[in-house]
Amino acid sequence: MLIVGEMKLADVIHHDYNLVPVINRFDISLGFGDGTIKEICEERNVNIEFFLSILNTFHDVQYFPKDYLKSFPVSLIINYLRKAHSYYSDEKIPEIKLLISKLIRLSGKKNKTLNLISNFFNDYCKEFATHLMREETVVYPYILSLEKALAEKNENGIVDTELMKYSITTYEADHEDVEEKLFDMKSLIIKYLPLESSDNLMFEEISYSLLRELFVLEKELNEHSRIEDLILVPKVEGMEKHYKSDR
Amino acid sequence: MGALMNIILVENNFLLRSGIEGLIIELPGLLLKEVFDGKEKNLCRKLINKKPDVIIINPNALGDNFISIISKLQEEAGIILIGLLGNDCPENISSRFKNHLPLEGNKHLLLEKLRDACGKDAVYPTNKKTQAGSRLLSVREIDILREVVKGLTNQEIADKLFLSIHTVMTHRKNISKKLSIKTVSGLMVYALMNNIVDINEMG
Repeated sequence: MLIVGEMKLADVIHHDYNLVPVINRFDISLGFGDGTIKEICEERNVNIEFFLSILNTFHDVQYFPKDYLKSFPVSLIINYLRKAHSYYSDEKIPEIKLLISKLIRLSGKKNKTLNLISNFFNDYCKEFATHLMREETVVYPYILSLEKALAEKNENGIVDTELMKYSITTYEADHEDVEEKLFDMKSLIIKYLPLESSDNLMFEEISYSLLRELFVLEKELNEHSRIEDLILVPKVEGMEKHYKSDR
Repeated sequence: MGALMNIILVENNFLLRSGIEGLIIELPGLLLKEVFDGKEKNLCRKLINKKPDVIIINPNALGDNFISIISKLQEEAGIILIGLLGNDCPENISSRFKNHLPLEGNKHLLLEKLRDACGKDAVYPTNKKTQAGSRLLSVREIDILREVVKGLTNQEIADKLFLSIHTVMTHRKNISKKLSIKTVSGLMVYALMNNIVDINEMG
């Protein structure tokens, strides 16, 4: 399904409820009423082209944003990505940690395997946090200053030599290991999670929730890096080309 | 069932993309990891970085870059290349592929070809020997795992156990396949869980 402005947002969510956290990042929460996407965006001052390209990229793996859709300012994309980051670190990861600690409590604390899995996930979280931190403290500021410098160059021809040394391509290949760890986490739970508890039914129920949360997180992160690869990186590459040419 | 075989598809035609996806879904053990349309910048590097087991390529999607890209991919050991080829595909292109899916083939034939190309065991672990063997690590693999989780490099393991580095790498690949665990820290959890190493041995 290609999502377009004339559709009712409610119909879109009926079709793909995974989009709920995405619309939340645009400060649209459930109970948004009966409007079309266009109406809701106008009402709330949301850039509709950007909104649509995010929804479509998230919804459809095959979707490829058209060039004219990339016309919105890069600060909008970064604002969105930052909100996504805090959703992962402030909501998703704590939820998963909570489920793990529930399992540990149920199994009476001396469950060796469960403790190992819990440590493994904590290590993953640290690595993930470092990765997000790098984007927020190095990559995004670089892009924002590039945007600013580009405007200044257009105005009075001044070029910042520091900016010329850096390039977005250096950061493109960076996602690998974090993804693999998340995959391993799922394997460990699917294949090796021991059932040692006085309340097995509860234990199974929580393990299932835990696994589901991991799959959801993985899906979210895949969409997230697709947005970076398909929208952010090409946009920044274009800006760099523009900035470094005809000095 | 062994670990999943990761597949990457390079195809720019939507109908063909969807068709191939439909085939892959029919075979448990195969997972379509990503689809490229062939026009991406630095496509070759991107493909190799994803560490796929299988790449299915329509030569038409690559256009003029076909020869340079396919040559580089052929140098990568451990990646199975499958061509999506029509009857009218010229010899100099079709000869680049050991395996191919014929565009004119019916579903049954295509599934069979895909299964054969990916290795039957990956898709249907039929004979008993591979089935039992693919679940448990061999004694040698356990030796290697023990050294991996201690943090030794492939070269150090090779020297210590008097093996070639290639043998060590093959063992490591098989270990990860059997356990569906890719990272060293994941393997460490497995090794501690199964008392293959002791927590005190860890560096």
